[in-house]
Order: sequence, then structure tokens, then C-alpha cells
Amino acid sequence: MTDQQDRATRYGQAPAPLPDLIDDAPPLTLRQRISSKSVAPWIFLSPMLAFGVIFFLLPIIFAAYISLTRWNSLTAPRFVGLKNYEYLLTGDPKFWGTVWNTIYFAAGTLAVGIPLALVLAYAFTRAYGQAFWRSIYWLPMITNVVAVAYIWKFLLDDSFGLVNMALGKLGLPGPGWLTNPGIAMISVILVFVWMQLGHNMLLFSAGLANIDESYYEAARLDGASESQLFFRITVPLLKPTILFVLITNFITGLSYFTLMLVLTEGGPVGATNVTALYMYKMAFEDLRMGRASAVAYILFAFILVVTLIQLRVFRRGGVEAH
Amino acid sequence: MTIATRRSSALVAALLASSALAAPALAADKTITIATHYNQEQMAPLLACFNQYEAENPGTKIVFQQASYRDFLQTIMTARVGGTSPDIYNIYSIWAPQLIDSGTLAEPPADVVDFVNENYGKGSVDAATIDGTLYGIPTELSVYQLFYNKKLLAEAGYDAPPATWDELAEIAAKVTKKNDQGNITVAGYAYGPTVANAVHVFYSQMYAAGVAPYSDDFRKTNFLDPRAITILERQGKLFADGSTSNSVTTDSFASSGAAMAIMANWQKQSLIDAYGDEFEATVGIAPIPDDGAKPGTMLYSFLWAVDSASKVQDESWALLKWLNSPREGGLSCTGQMLNDLGALTGNLGDLAAMETGDFFTKPFVDAIESGAAKSQPNVWQASEDDRILRSYIEQVWAGQMSAKDALTAADSEVTAILAEQDN
Repeated sequence: MTDQQDRATRYGQAPAPLPDLIDDAPPLTLRQRISSKSVAPWIFLSPMLAFGVIFFLLPIIFAAYISLTRWNSLTAPRFVGLKNYEYLLTGDPKFWGTVWNTIYFAAGTLAVGIPLALVLAYAFTRAYGQAFWRSIYWLPMITNVVAVAYIWKFLLDDSFGLVNMALGKLGLPGPGWLTNPGIAMISVILVFVWMQLGHNMLLFSAGLANIDESYYEAARLDGASESQLFFRITVPLLKPTILFVLITNFITGLSYFTLMLVLTEGGPVGATNVTALYMYKMAFEDLRMGRASAVAYILFAFILVVTLIQLRVFRRGGVEAH
Repeated sequence: MTIATRRSSALVAALLASSALAAPALAADKTITIATHYNQEQMAPLLACFNQYEAENPGTKIVFQQASYRDFLQTIMTARVGGTSPDIYNIYSIWAPQLIDSGTLAEPPADVVDFVNENYGKGSVDAATIDGTLYGIPTELSVYQLFYNKKLLAEAGYDAPPATWDELAEIAAKVTKKNDQGNITVAGYAYGPTVANAVHVFYSQMYAAGVAPYSDDFRKTNFLDPRAITILERQGKLFADGSTSNSVTTDSFASSGAAMAIMANWQKQSLIDAYGDEFEATVGIAPIPDDGAKPGTMLYSFLWAVDSASKVQDESWALLKWLNSPREGGLSCTGQMLNDLGALTGNLGDLAAMETGDFFTKPFVDAIESGAAKSQPNVWQASEDDRILRSYIEQVWAGQMSAKDALTAADSEVTAILAEQDN
């Protein structure tokens, strides 16, 4: 007897009828359950979920565990707590140098690459053969980075490279583009900008196509110059695209290392040794998987913080539009 | 008996019959997988030997796997994690300490130990020995000596290679040519971009100066020995004098873009290809210059090793012993391959059977046979140690640190790593 019935009986009331707890409907068959709205979406999503769990979630969790161990991948990991993080943040004589190089590279690629891509995209929207120019500038993106590195190595050679030979013809000095520690990172930034230019131009071109021509017509009727059209109409209306390109390029820059690996190997004198490259060598040359995982997590935390700040600062700019 | 039961009985009978037929074949078939960094073309003599061995040993199959030198250690790691590790490796001796620490390498049986001790030179046996235990059969040896371009030196007025480092610096300065922009077109001396281009050279110079890079127990460095500091100071001075630069590499030697460099003997074939008929008239080999100490240099070695997880360890060691034993022609199978590559070996029988009397090879062989060439120390985390040392050497080259400060910093970092093996 339920508590409610017991209380009603005690006070001389007729007990309330019991709720109908028995469902007369026939049970669902397996096929019906699978095709029901609550199950079917999960079945369709399951391949992607399994992929995500196996290739993203589990490695992330495993890396977090490994970062707390000393492991060379040949023997069982040995738990060392936060020692890897402690060493990197307070004892490693090279780690902070690589962080600085990473910031230098990421900021440099933004400072040079974004304005250049924007100006070129703007110019080509007003030029004949837009598709042709886009294709030309897109070509480096589909060229293997190893091939890119070899070509630029030849071009930037101190004594016999085409760049310095051209400068020599003009009576100018020929710097050690890839051999002078003070210049090497600038060279890497320029090569990377060259590689990424087509990609960024394409994004800006898409953004420019969304700006209504009537704004320009109205401004021209009011006597606006070309530079005013660019700075007063194009740039403000392109802000969401600019912010999107800024954020994605900065994140890419912070975690990028392939070009440095094949072009300079992090040299000369560690001038182009970015954190991701340092982590790669730590893991696969020194077999320090635990410490390398700790670097990965520090880099991840850094990128997360920078991205959150960027999103916060630029929220009003309408980055959500993308 | 129902139809289903009859079918089941027939299936079981068929399976038993097929198992009975297959059992002798399975027992006889043994596959030995060999991984090396040599490619198919370089391996040709050994591949022919594999075929011969298979013919002489029915039921044994040999599979060759190639992995690039750069990825070799990673390949071993991945294969072991996946349970597909090869049975035999051809490994760089400095990888051995970590592979042994992780239990990857098997100890050879007594007959193989005796075979190595009886037939190989001390330097190469040392390279394959870790903490007093031999772990494999030495193969390729590479020895460092001074390479000099006879024609470039003659143009500058020198008809003999430098005997001391001061002479080397003097000749290098005189040979160096620069373009209008001040960039070097012909360097007096060349280093290179790889870790070995700096660190092996530094170690070789240390041996030439009479000091080993590490203490005997491999727990400390000798980087702070005054002779080591002097060597690095002199290297830095070559950069400061403008006799070399980061843009000049050892590769420049093959195009007469550099007059001198300390390099290993495996460069022979590429130099023959580069200079053709002018090879002997152009290239000269000399002992590493120092200040009059006894000749000294460094050698590094590869070795055949067997994986401790291999299920065919006995067969693998037997195969390796066969591959390294002399044949009728004099050279062993491994010796034949190394001979064709223009490489050297620690196998004394092979070394005697090889044609090593030419002007190029003789100085290297002399260094091995005289004991002047000392084995590269198989220290803990050798690749990492070398990379750290290279980073500090580069700072001296760039004029960013004094030799003493750089080697003090390198010593501090490397010693900390060496201490890890006892933790």
C-alpha cells in the first residue's frame, strides 16, 4: 500500500484509485527502436563519433597521461608527476627561446601576410582575369612543402642564389637569408607568407564579393577617392573576414613547423627553432615522449588562451558571422 | 545421424586432415626479417647472399625491409609497439644504449661473441659493446680524416696539407675567395648543417688532441678540458677570420667550393662521381691537424643486432655469422656489400681482402689498424647529447658565446642527461 493510500484509509476516506502503471502498448521491435527518432541519429553519427573518440579524444587523454610520465616508447611509462612541466617552464634553457620564436613567426606572418593578401585580393577584384590570378597565387598552396623549401634554398643561397645575384647587379649587399641568425626567421616568414598568400586571398575575395556594389557607387557620387573607398568601406565591411583570417592564421602560425624542418632545421643557432619543431625533435629524435607531450599541452594552453582573448576582443567585430 | 551432425563431422575431419598436412610445413618454415637503412640497390650483394642462404637452408625465408636512416629508430619503435619488429637490425652503435636499456636487443650466443672477438678490430668491437657486453656483429665503419683539395691548395702556393691547426688556419685564409658582396665563393674550410658535421668533427679533433670526449664510465664529459676549449676557440676563429661561414657546407667540397673539411670515408664514391678522372689529382686525405700530438681521430660504426622479441633468434644469429664469414673470394657477404659501397669494415679479414691501398682509402685503414681511430662513445641519449653540443658549438661559430662558456653550458646539460641512466 502506498503512503497516500495508507493516510487516506487512516482518515476514513476512500482510497484513491491506483494510477495505470501497466502499458498495454506492444513492446517496440528492434527495427522500430533503431528507426526511432531517439536512436537513429546516433546510429548515423556513430562512425564520426567513433572516429573522433579513437583519433582525437583517446590520444588527447593518452597524451595528458604521458605528459606526467617519463616514456621513451620502448619501455613502460614511469610516472613523474609534473616534473616535465616544471623542467620546461623553469629549467629548460631552450624552451622559452622557442616560444619567443613561435610568437615572432606567428605575429610576423600576420603582419606581412594579411595586409598583403587583402590588398592583392582587393586589386584583383577590380582586374581582368580574376580566376587566373587566383589560380596563380593558389599554386604554392598545392606545392609540396619539401619542394618549396628546396626551391627557396636555391633562391636564397648566400653566394649563388638568384636573389643575392639580383641584388648584386643592383650594387646592393647580399645578406645571408638563411644563414644569418638575425635574418633567418624573416626569410622563413616571407616564404610562409608566399605559401599562404593564395589561401588568404581566396578568403578575402569571398568576403569582398559579399560587399554590395551600391555602397561604392554612393560613395563615389559623394566624391570619395579610391583610398577612401578602401579604408572607409571595404575594410570596415570586411572586418568579419579579416578577423577570421587573423585568428586562423595566428593559430596556424603558433603550431606550424614543417617549413622550418625542411628549410632550416631550426637553425642557424636556433633562430628558427619554434616550439612545435622543438617538440617534434624531442619526441622522435630524443625519444622523450613524456616531455614532448608536456610541450604539446603547454602549446595547446597557450593557443587556447590567445584564441579566447582574440575572440573576446574581436567579438564586436562580428567574427561569429563566420 | 542428422544432416547437420554429419556436416559438422565432415568439417572437423577436413580441418584435422588439413592441419596434419600443414603441420610439417609450418614447423619447417622460418621467416627472418632483416631491416637496414641501405636501399635495394646498395643491398644487392647481400640480397644475392640471402637467396643463396635460402637455397642452402630449405624452409628458411629471408625478408628485407628498408627504412631511411633518419627514420630508422622511429621505425623500430613503431614496429615493436605494433608487435611486428624485424628479427635483425643494422643499427648505428650510439642507438644501442637505449635499445639495450629497453630490452630491445638480444645478447649473442657464445659462439658469435668468440667469432667477433677473433675477427674484428678493437675499435669496432668497442663500438658494439655496451657496459662490457657485446650486442652484435660490427659492420660499416666510418673514420674521419682531413680532406683537402690539392688544386686549390696549390693555387694558393701550398703543395702539402697542413700538419697543425695554425697551418690549416693560414692556408684556409689564403685560399678563401669572396664575391663583391663579401659572400664566400671558395671557402678555406667547411663545416655543415648536420649535427655530425659539427659534433663528430669536434670529437675527432678531441681524439687528435689526445683527449676523449667523455670519461671512461660515460658519466661525465671532458668538454672543459683546456684542449677541448682550444679546439672550439680555433673553430670560432675560422668563422671570425672569414675563412668559412654557415653558407658553406661539406657538400661544397665536391664542387671545389671548399678547400678543406674533416669528413668521413663514405664520401669516396660521391667524390669520384664529382671529380671523375681528376679525383686523385684533386682530392687528398691527411691526418687531422693538431699541435703535434699522436695522430688520432674518431670512427663510428654500425652493427648487426637481433631483436630480443624475435622467435627465430638462433636462426638469426646463425644467418648473421654466415653473412659475415669469409667466402671463397675472400670477402664475406657483408664485406662485399661494404666494398661495393666504398665503405670500410671492422672485419679484419674483409679489410685485408678489400682493395684499400689506394691514396684515398689507405689513410683511413691505417687509422683503424694503428688504433688511432677511437670509437665514438656509446653514451646515454647520444643523439640528444650531440644535438645539445651542436647548438652550443654554433653559438661559438656565430660569435655569440666564448668557447669556454659554450662548453660549460653544454657540459652542464649533457652531464645531467648522462646522470639519467642511473635513475
